[in-house]
Amino acid sequence: MVMPNIILIIATGLGAAFLLGLLREEKRLSAYLITLAALAFMSLISGLWLIAFAGGAAPIEVTTAGTPAPFAINFKMGLAEAALLLLINLTALLSAIYMQQTMLRLGRRIMAVFLIAVMAVSGIILTRDVFNLFVFLELVVIASGGLVLMSTDKRALGAGFKYLMVSEFITVFLLIGIIFAYHASGSLNIDTMAASDMLAKQGGALAFFLILIALIAELKPFPANGWALDIYESAHPGFSALFSAVFATGALFAVDKVLLMGGTTWLPLATGIGLLTFVASNIMGLAQHNDRRLLGYSSIAQVGLVLAIIGQREVLGDSYLFVAGGILLAHAVAKAGLFWMSGMFEARDLKDWTVLRQKPLMVGIFITFIAMLTGLPPFPGFYAKWELVHGLIAHNQFWLVAVILFGALIEVTYLMRWFGYVIKRDAPRYTEDTPFHKELVVVLAAAAGWVLAYVWGELSAYRNLLSLAEGNLLVVLPLMFALLFFMIDGLPARIKNIIAIAGMVAYFIASYSSYDPLQLIFGSIILLGGAVIMLASFHAEGRRTGFYPSAMLMYAGLALLIIAENSFAFFAAWEMLTIGSYFLILRGKASEPHALSYIIFSLGGAFAILTGFALAAHGQAPFEIASLADVREDVAPYVFILLAVGFMTKTAAIGLHIWLPGAHAEAETDVSPMVSGVLLKAGLFGLFTLLMTMGRQHLGPVDLTLVLLWIGALTALLGNLMAAFQEDAKRLLAYSSIGQMGYALFGLALMNKLGWLMALLFVINHYIYKSMLFLSVGGVAKRTGTRAMYKMGGLIALMPLSFIAVMIGIIAMSGVPPLSGYGGRWVFYNAIMSAEHRLPMILIFLSGPIGFLYLFRLVHTIFLGQLKDEHRRLKEAPFWIILPQMIYVLFLLGFAVVPGLALRRVDAYLTRFFPNEFGLDWTGPAITSEYGYWAPVSIMIVIGVIFCLVLGWMLFLNRNAQKVKQFNIVYSAERPYRPETTHYAWNFYAPYRKALGFMVQPFVTNFWNGIATALHNLGDFSRRLYTGNGQTYAFQMLIFVVMAYLVSRGMI
Amino acid sequence: MTNRLLTVAFLAGLAVIFIQLLSGYAPDTDLNLTASYYANQTAPDLGAQNIVTGIIVTYRGLDTLGEVTVLFLTAAIVALVLVHGRALEAERGPKPFPAGELLQTGSRLLAPMILLLGIYVFVNGHLTPGGGFQGGAIVASAVLLLLLTDPMRRFSHRLISRIESTAGLLFVAIGLLGLLFAGGFLDARFLPQGWFGALFSAGAIPLIYSLIGLKVGAEFSSMLLSLSETEDEK
Amino acid sequence: MSLVTLAMAGGFALILIGLYGALNNRNILRIIIAFTLANTGVHLVLVAVGYMPGRTAPILDAAVPVDQANALIIDPVPQALVLTAIVIGLGVTALMLAYALRLFASRHTLDISKFTELKW
Repeated sequence: MVMPNIILIIATGLGAAFLLGLLREEKRLSAYLITLAALAFMSLISGLWLIAFAGGAAPIEVTTAGTPAPFAINFKMGLAEAALLLLINLTALLSAIYMQQTMLRLGRRIMAVFLIAVMAVSGIILTRDVFNLFVFLELVVIASGGLVLMSTDKRALGAGFKYLMVSEFITVFLLIGIIFAYHASGSLNIDTMAASDMLAKQGGALAFFLILIALIAELKPFPANGWALDIYESAHPGFSALFSAVFATGALFAVDKVLLMGGTTWLPLATGIGLLTFVASNIMGLAQHNDRRLLGYSSIAQVGLVLAIIGQREVLGDSYLFVAGGILLAHAVAKAGLFWMSGMFEARDLKDWTVLRQKPLMVGIFITFIAMLTGLPPFPGFYAKWELVHGLIAHNQFWLVAVILFGALIEVTYLMRWFGYVIKRDAPRYTEDTPFHKELVVVLAAAAGWVLAYVWGELSAYRNLLSLAEGNLLVVLPLMFALLFFMIDGLPARIKNIIAIAGMVAYFIASYSSYDPLQLIFGSIILLGGAVIMLASFHAEGRRTGFYPSAMLMYAGLALLIIAENSFAFFAAWEMLTIGSYFLILRGKASEPHALSYIIFSLGGAFAILTGFALAAHGQAPFEIASLADVREDVAPYVFILLAVGFMTKTAAIGLHIWLPGAHAEAETDVSPMVSGVLLKAGLFGLFTLLMTMGRQHLGPVDLTLVLLWIGALTALLGNLMAAFQEDAKRLLAYSSIGQMGYALFGLALMNKLGWLMALLFVINHYIYKSMLFLSVGGVAKRTGTRAMYKMGGLIALMPLSFIAVMIGIIAMSGVPPLSGYGGRWVFYNAIMSAEHRLPMILIFLSGPIGFLYLFRLVHTIFLGQLKDEHRRLKEAPFWIILPQMIYVLFLLGFAVVPGLALRRVDAYLTRFFPNEFGLDWTGPAITSEYGYWAPVSIMIVIGVIFCLVLGWMLFLNRNAQKVKQFNIVYSAERPYRPETTHYAWNFYAPYRKALGFMVQPFVTNFWNGIATALHNLGDFSRRLYTGNGQTYAFQMLIFVVMAYLVSRGMI
Repeated sequence: MTNRLLTVAFLAGLAVIFIQLLSGYAPDTDLNLTASYYANQTAPDLGAQNIVTGIIVTYRGLDTLGEVTVLFLTAAIVALVLVHGRALEAERGPKPFPAGELLQTGSRLLAPMILLLGIYVFVNGHLTPGGGFQGGAIVASAVLLLLLTDPMRRFSHRLISRIESTAGLLFVAIGLLGLLFAGGFLDARFLPQGWFGALFSAGAIPLIYSLIGLKVGAEFSSMLLSLSETEDEK
Repeated sequence: MSLVTLAMAGGFALILIGLYGALNNRNILRIIIAFTLANTGVHLVLVAVGYMPGRTAPILDAAVPVDQANALIIDPVPQALVLTAIVIGLGVTALMLAYALRLFASRHTLDISKFTELKW
């Protein structure tokens, strides 16, 4: 096939621009069509070349003037160039479509300027001549100076002038650098200069420094970037899209090219400036409220990140283009898309984006862009992030990884906070009518994002998350199933619920045979257990937009997590379940801040896991999960710590727990059991996997499993204690989950067979009783309209089924016979007996009775006591919420009688890890251990008989009792300041609080809040650097260059 | 005051860089790689007497195309900005005092001669010092002279913008002709080289330089007009 | 001090003076003029780098026979570059002037410190 000459891209852009000059001023439509046609043609050429290079064509070189390089200007094009050209020209085409009205209003001149700008960026990408690069760069600068004026915002005028001032400085440095570099090397061709001994000559290195720093200055490095922020804030969003996605891309590529001349010496400077910019801009972004300015900060940060990656080119080796390209393209598409979206409405506060809620499609697209920016699967940033961390860790760049991940976490914070605003804040009253072409452009950008996601999956060395073609269907289907719900989100909720339950059950049946016993336990809880909880979702009416895609994404992640064979699959599944659950949690009424802290902690934990995996990989990513056992000894303890911390953010171990109470309590009625009963198991599964493969680890003299043991014990104690002091029933349950997870962690950390068995029992039990309790309490809360326990009371007669469920749940949970909780306790005490650490054991023992305190309070204050006057007409909770509870009741009874059904096989399975330990003897009706036996059936019978006797006795005693009607108690003509304080159920455990309150002081919450506030203040303080004065900005540019010079003196 | 001290301090930092460059600089004794190629090859390859012109129009022709585009761009933006401005500033000031007879006649006499000189400079760009940019600037100075003597004078924007665009288009077209009929984009050798040192020689170089001259002249004039017209509106 | 060093030093001095002026004058027109001064300095440095003592202009006329050009002429490249640089500088200056007109029209002041409504 004959390929079009790449010069045509330049010639078309220029020719069309000149042609526009020939048109009459009035023929605006024709001018506009010519502009579009030219951009489309330029995109077409780039696209054709991209296809050719993707097919394996060799890079090409094009000379001009019929003279070979270096004597005439030449172009080079390979895969990277073609990809960037396509990005540039397509973005420009879309932006031109987007700015239709503005362009038609301003006429042919602005279109010519636009075309020249795009042509010039293409030239920056293509040219191999450093002075030619300067010419194209200046074209971009001048064109930007014109395009800024497209804005209807009067302030854009000032911003444009500041930009020109700063560019004058850049021009001076660049020109001086170029001429001395020419003098030192005898050439202007980048490749010839790179091959020359320029840097060795006096002045050569300095000249190179000036060129490099001038080009870096175009990337808006911190602190010399105030001008760019002003432009982002005031320019037309169509132009800002271009400025962020296209111009920055061109400048980045220019830096990349020029760095070739400097060899490896100068790479650290690029990394340093890039990282500083990345972190500083993100911190300052925290304090932003203006959407466009925030996008500006984020753009600058992302470009800084790519610059840092360019500096790590040597370290990353072959994966350099994959990493840098992934982050850059995802950033460009998402940022352009967000800027375009910002033009759909007038108001400029982040909270004003709630208008998107009027169109679910737009919300979906917004999520897409945010996910692309934060590097979530399946988008390119995800693969790039994985590859980047692995590449850096393989070369021991630990600090770099830490700083990058820290900056990324801050960026996640403000982006997710923004997303929270969009979903949760009050929707505005006005409606915005967006013209069709603007929406079309945004939709196309989102589509491009998905295409990129697919392409990056294909390019990666790992499984393409979006591909149907690969491997085992069981691995492919979950995500596809979740994505299906994005498509059918318009259907009624009930139909979607049927599909969801059917899908989960079918998937379980299909994978049943391939599970090992451990997977079977977790799989049953996730898929079957999840399906049971979904029964409660039948009560919801209407469409329930957004619920099913989120829930299914979470379940897909969970299902994939337990069958993940290698580290990559595991991590991808982990991120998926994190995002899905975040969306779910965010749905709750007052859950915005809690969902935010959930996602921050979760992604922070995910970063720890990622780093742990990278550390364990030894450059061999991905590795089989099982080979965690073979990690080199010198890194093993660190791998262990990182992974354990990552998993413990999910199980909400003490210190990392502050997100949980709010997230679980504020979630919707059927979501609470999902995120508590099911989701927490992901962390436990991770800990299981970790301890199963890595076993005991020592960091110096410290036994890390002992540390886990202590954490487990403390979590159990403090979790229970905090639960006892809650007034809110759902928060009580949430804190109780923290305690329960502490038990499980403790059991695991015992590192003996019974301990693990107990942890597994907790996995099952916790799922059942926590789901059940959350559903019944949720049902009660739904009827009474409150979750505060002191506002309830005496509901036993009105909501008997809910009462039964709570009663049974409490019996099971507190570990009194005859239900399965007792079995758990029994195994637990057996396990403790065989371990040697007495002190944490005392803590664990202590937390038992405290657990009983809060459970008693739950049943007592809600169902017993006096019925409130306003609750007289309450009905039982809705059928669909009751139904799963009754299923749990039956199951609990069954499980109590024949626990061996599930546990026998697990016991056998665990023998593999503790071959020499005495387990349990499952023969006969009783289960025997070293210390005694547990006969579930007999216990059941004994308890049953005692219960009937006592009941009968009480009935007999009360046979003559008289029924009394309740009456309203009147305070003696006084209305207390806080009426709830007079209720007996308020501050129920005041005496205990007096004694133990010091232990539940919000130390941890204060600690994390302190960090958040400090960062926020730092951001708010440092952004005052940008005074808005053009001279200050220019001066900051001078300071930047001089400081960079001082820093890099060693190299010159 | 502190600001001044600070700027001086950091400019001193910049001065250190400059001093280092200066102290490390020694003029070449021989032409370097690139320059000697041009010294040896310009005559046989291109047939241009003025080596700088050879570089500007062919070897670094892409730069020159960019340069012309810079002017085009600036002219377009200035027009855009000031059209905008005119819309804002509706009120008209008093008319300027008309220039004297002497000035008017003198400028009318001079303008064609300046124009002619300008054309001479760009047509001979491949032979003598000068060329399209210099010639174009001279041409525009004729317009400036006319504007200075009679600020209310109006020129046809339409004509100027036509000249500007046509010249630009032809430049690109000639570049593409080079791609089709010679060695590459902007290769001037698709026309015969002619007699070394003659007016019609050096392939398409004089043609290109003349187009540049026209274009530059038109662009400068256009900018001057835009600025002067805005002035009138005040 | 040779001619080249003198020119170059002069160029650098002009740049510094220009930048100082641009940073310390509040009037936008003065800032623009300061920048043109700095630009001139850059151009001076540019041509100075191409200069070689004892040689002549790169034009192949009677004084420079074609076959001896290599030994007689100065480096033509910086001369070509400076032309481009001048034109580009001029373009930016024109643009800044146009901006200045608009800025004045919007506020009736040319004080750069008055245009700070965008910040932080």
